[in-house]
This record gives sequence, structure tokens and C-alpha cells, in this order.
Amino acid sequence: MDPNGFNPTILVLATEACAYPGADAAGKAHLEYGANVYVFRVPSPVLFPEDFYLRTYARGIDGILLAACGSDCPYRGAYDRLAARIDRLTGRMKAGGLEIARIRLTAICTVCIAAFLKEVRQLDEKLRGIGPVNRQIASALQIAVRREMQEAAAARHNAPAGASV
Amino acid sequence: MDATDQSYAENRGAEPAGQPRVGVYICRCGGNISDVVDAEHAAEICWHIPGVVVSKVHTFMCSDPGQQSIIDDIHGEKLDRIVVASCSPFLHELTFRGAAIRGNLNPYLYEHVNIREQCSWVHKHDPQGATAKAIALIGAAVGKVRQSRPLEKIRLNNRRRALVVGGGPAGMKAAADLAGTGLPVLLVERTGRLGGKLVSPQSLFPTGIGSTQILEKLESDVRSTGRVEVLLESEISRVKGFIGNFDVTIRGPLGPSGALTDVDVSVGVIVMATGFQPYVPHDGEFLFNRHPGVITTVDFQEALACAPEGKRLVVNGREIRRAAFIHCVGSRQIEGVHEPGPDGRLNKHCSRVCCTTVLNQAIQVRRRFADTRVYDIYQDIRAYGRGHERYYSEASRAGVIFLRYHGDERPLVSAAEDQSVHVSFKDYLSWGETIDLDVDLLVLAVGMTPGPCGRIVDQLKLPRGEDGFLQEIHPKLRPVEISVNGVLLAGTAQAPMNLQESLAAAGAAAVKARAMLVKEQVELNPYVARVNTQRCEGSGECIGQCEYDGALTMVEESPGVRRARVNPGLCIGCGACVAVCPNSAIDINGWRVEQYDAMVDGLVLQNQPA
Repeated sequence: MDPNGFNPTILVLATEACAYPGADAAGKAHLEYGANVYVFRVPSPVLFPEDFYLRTYARGIDGILLAACGSDCPYRGAYDRLAARIDRLTGRMKAGGLEIARIRLTAICTVCIAAFLKEVRQLDEKLRGIGPVNRQIASALQIAVRREMQEAAAARHNAPAGASV
Repeated sequence: MDATDQSYAENRGAEPAGQPRVGVYICRCGGNISDVVDAEHAAEICWHIPGVVVSKVHTFMCSDPGQQSIIDDIHGEKLDRIVVASCSPFLHELTFRGAAIRGNLNPYLYEHVNIREQCSWVHKHDPQGATAKAIALIGAAVGKVRQSRPLEKIRLNNRRRALVVGGGPAGMKAAADLAGTGLPVLLVERTGRLGGKLVSPQSLFPTGIGSTQILEKLESDVRSTGRVEVLLESEISRVKGFIGNFDVTIRGPLGPSGALTDVDVSVGVIVMATGFQPYVPHDGEFLFNRHPGVITTVDFQEALACAPEGKRLVVNGREIRRAAFIHCVGSRQIEGVHEPGPDGRLNKHCSRVCCTTVLNQAIQVRRRFADTRVYDIYQDIRAYGRGHERYYSEASRAGVIFLRYHGDERPLVSAAEDQSVHVSFKDYLSWGETIDLDVDLLVLAVGMTPGPCGRIVDQLKLPRGEDGFLQEIHPKLRPVEISVNGVLLAGTAQAPMNLQESLAAAGAAAVKARAMLVKEQVELNPYVARVNTQRCEGSGECIGQCEYDGALTMVEESPGVRRARVNPGLCIGCGACVAVCPNSAIDINGWRVEQYDAMVDGLVLQNQPA
């Protein structure tokens, strides 16, 4: 733990095909990183709506590392969609007053031990610099983003027939 | 009702009623976990996680008694949700799902927590932190599993035909064995004939049988059933799919014999018998390629086979009075001592077979050519197999002179004036004395390096180990399976092996393949999208996200009521559709967003500083 008492909680969303085995490989090599890093296995983080991340911050997770497959993604088009989604999210975070350093999208392969450790260490250092997440801001943003999403969908849905969807 | 809904109706047991009753099991992994994570303390804390009614520790959860304790508690404690905290899910998730099934619980009401590869092994110097993390991860899993719903596997028809890639001895054996069980087999070989490395005639240890004889027998086994279709001068140009349903494009003939054509085939399993490549020394490594008297054990094999009988061995027209072997060329390479290969990798592994190969060749020289002296310059001799040690004693008796160098003091090789090769090194059998030898022939005992496996490896994302060979799921428990279901390993594509071991592996792969093909249908995990019809308002946002034709469509269920519908056979479960639904009406079975929300909640609930 930091001398000033702040130990960030880091969530890694690791793809089942690439980054999760990559994190396993770090373990098999008996290399160490902080016990404040938690890895969740996901098919692809493309499934998370943008407000999922904000809800996660609102619950007190200080940083999220999206450890995806990159060009090795087994799902057609998923990585590009994910990247676009994270782009929108960071834009929304910036506008809403949440540090964008709290989210990081990267590609980790099944044997990318060094890359995994580096990403985790860098995020940890950054978070120690900026301190704990402001949960109120995150919570307000989460609600706003979901509402925007619903309004945009409704506007598209109710558009006059013949309008492009 | 779509097929997914249908499968819900056929569930093993109904959705558990009332409050979930979760059992938590923490594995010590014989100390691998509990040397760092305080498993007993974690189990104590886990009692307090909402929903947990059993919390236990076991030395080996994967053992029969470990699994049985889960089954007993499902009945005794009326558990309807299970969490096991142990090694990586890639090792034992299926094991514990199996235990759940045997306890008559739906296997998808099971959640796996990785506290070995991702906890005890990476936080060795922070036992307190590791213990807290293990508890928090269990908290997350309990949160998720409480939200889990029973799921049924998706069943698809099995294409009951096998593809064997590689027509060397392992591929031939696998093909012959599979065909022997009555299944049709396609055997694809890149070169113009079957046999692989056995094509070059040699005397094989440990029996002394000639390679030609073995090859003839394997060939007759391949042909005798009439069920093996052999495609020579062919390679796999494209492969996709999954167990029971691989679509493969085979390109051939590769040789000059005709125009290249692509043939599409469907198979249920793929056996990788792509073999190895002998190590090729760098230009100038021990004077290789620079001196006619320096060759590899592979070249020497052929030279021996066609050498005329006589007092002295003759190789390439040169009379050999003295021959020396150097062991471990291209094997057991040390950082800082050896140059990495073109791919930047060192071959740190022992190739296992080269020691006995040298002994075998040395004995043949001494037996056939009384006036050719033989020196065996080794690092270590690993005559490890049954009957191999006999070769060592026989070589000693036959007058082979053994000398021993040290791994980081490689012998120095230079050209001598009289066309012979000068070898100089410190011999540790004589306590470090410097030995200078002039020999007419220097044979480099080259090891095995990973063979080219073609495009399959990239297209199916087959994992390779650090050494570059294809990596099995588990070296002991699942030695011929690879993490891509439906693909099996046969022979030296996996690791250095001698012929005996290669053929044993091929036989095992054939039996495994047979077991996969024997079923009418294959079962797939039900991790596909599912529409919550109560929430879906037909906004259509999801449809534009789907990249897979026919997987997700908008259906007018009744006049004016449109809803998204999933075809579970075509959905691949990527989840692109999930993120965009304004009503959170679509999810991936087993990976629902609310389950991740519950994981986050469970994690932070247990993540309070002590």
C-alpha cells in the first residue's frame, strides 16, 4: 500500500481467447504484480454497454484495463466496435469530469507476459498519481449515459419510415 | 419459441426456487495455493458472503474425494450453486462442471475462481494481499453464480470423419488406427510420399529394426482398411469451425505435376501430426557449411546407410580415420553463450533423442569399420528410454572414447592444414584437461526444433509453448489434447520424441479422436445471445451490430410487435449486440451484463480493508 494510504483497485477485463491465458502465463512463469489487480474473464469486452464501466467506477473500482485480443480477436469486427465504444466512453468521461486515465484498452496475447505486466504496472502508477475514483461523478455519469442511449435509440426508432436506421 | 428457449424447458431440474444456496470450495492445490493464500482464513470469511451456506477447504479439489464432497453437499446441504476456487479455469472448469452434473445440478450453476495462476503464483511475497484478493474474487464469483441460470448445451450434428495433417509415421499411425475403428480418414501430406523422416533408411533404436521395414508396415496399415484417403503434395490452405464441424480447404498438388486446385472438405476432428524440423546449425557453427568434414547426425544417417563396407568408413569419398560427435548442437542453448535462431529464440530444451542417436551411430561405425576411431564429446548423456542404456554400455565396449565438455565452454572447432578438423575443449572426465583432437569427420548431434505447422496454427489459434512446439492442455492429464477442442496432437509436432513415443502419442490421439467422433452430435457451450422477450421493444439497435448472417433477426411476432430473435446455431456469442440495447433486453447466456455487475458488487463488498 502507498505511504499516503491509497491502494487503487484495478479490474482487468481479459478476453478468454487471449488476455486471460496471457495473465495465466504470467502466473505460470511465477512473475509478480500487485494483489490489487483483479482479472475477470470475458468472451469479448465488446458486450459491455458504456454505462457498465461507469457503474463499475461508481462501485469504487479505480481503474479498468481492457485486455482484449486486438487483431487476434476471434469475433468478426468485435475489436473495432469495442475500440469505437471506448472512444465514445472516454469522450463522455472527459466531458463529465472523470479522468480518462482510469480506462485503458490494449491487446494482450496468450504469451504476452511482459506486455501484461507492463500494462498493469503503468495503470497502477497512473492511478496512484490521480487518486481514488470520484464515485458520485461516476454514478451521475452512468445514469446520464444510459438515458442518452435510450433517447438516441428512441429517436432512431421513431424516425419516419424510410429514414436510415 | 426459439431453440434456446426450448432448451430452457428441457433443463435438468427447474430454476432453483427461493434464495440461492451457494457452496464455496477452496483448494490448497497441495500447497501451490495454500503456501501463499491462507485458505482456512479465506473459508472462514466466505461463510459471511451473502448466499453462502457451505465454505470448505480441500487439499486437492480436483481429486475424487474433493469432487465427491461437492456432490455430497449438493444432496446433504441442498446446494444449488457451486463455486470452486482453485487453478485456472482452463484446467479444471470442466472437471467441476462434471461434478455438478453427477450431483444432478445443472453444470452452468457452477463458477470457477482462479486463485493459483492469477493469485498465489503472482503474489508470492504478499500472502496477506493474496488472501484478501482470493476472498474478493470468491465474492465476485458468488455474486455471479447467484445470478446464474441453468443452461443446456447446444447440439449439432457431428461430421464423422477425421483429418490427419502430416503423413510422417505419427500421421500414418493415427490415420491407420482411426480407420481401423471404422471411421473415414483424410490424410494430407505436403510432400510426394508418405513416411516423413523415416523415408531415409536407417537402423532404429532401441530394436535395430530398419526404418524401411517399419515404414512398409505403417503403409500397409494405412492402405489395408480402404478408409484412408491419402492426399499427397497437398496442404491445408484454410480451416475454420469447431469440434464436429470443421470446414477445411485443401490445396494441391504442390509439386510440378498439375494446376493447383482447392478442395473443400468437412471433418469433425483434426489430428496435428506435422512433425519437427532437425536443427540446422548456423553457417559456421562448429565450421558447419564451411568444412566438408563437418556434417549433422541427419546427414550422417544417410552417409552411414550408403557407406561401402571396409576397414575404414568412407564419407563423400573421404576416408575417415577418426570421427568425433558433438552432442547438444542446437539443444539446451544458454543465453549469452549461444546465438539465437532467425526467430530470435534459443532452443533451451533437451531434444532427448540425440544422445541415443549418437550412441547408435557410433556403435555402427565401430562395428562396421574396425579402423575408424570414434570420439563422443558430450555435455551429458541422457540414454533415458527402455533399452537405451544398453547402447551406452555397448558403445563403451565397442571402444568409443567418451569425453565431456561443459555447457558454457563449447568445443572450439577449426580447420587443420591437412583437411582434417581440429577440436579443442576442456574435458571434465579428466578434471578439466584441455584436449586437442584432429578428426576427419565431425558429426554434430542436432536436436529437434518445432516444425512448420502451416496456416492451421494461426487460423485455429493453436497455442505453442515457450519452446515453439504445439502445447498440450496438460502434460500429464491431457497429453494429446490442445486447448482448441477437436484438435489433437500426434508426435513431434508437440515436443521432441523418439519414434516409439511418437507412435504411442499418435495411437492415443487416434483413440481420443475416435471418442469425439463416435457421438451423433457434438455439444457446444450455450454461450449465445438470448433475447429477454419481456424487455425487448424491437428498437432494432442490436441488429446492426451483428456480423453473422442469420444469427440475429427482427421478427414481427404479431401485427405491430417486432422483437429480435437469435438463431443459436449461427450466433457465435461475441456480445456486440448486447452493449447497444437501450432496454438491456439481450445478453450472452452465461456472461450476462448483470452477472458482471454482480461480480463487481461481490468484489468490492469483500474488498474492504481489514
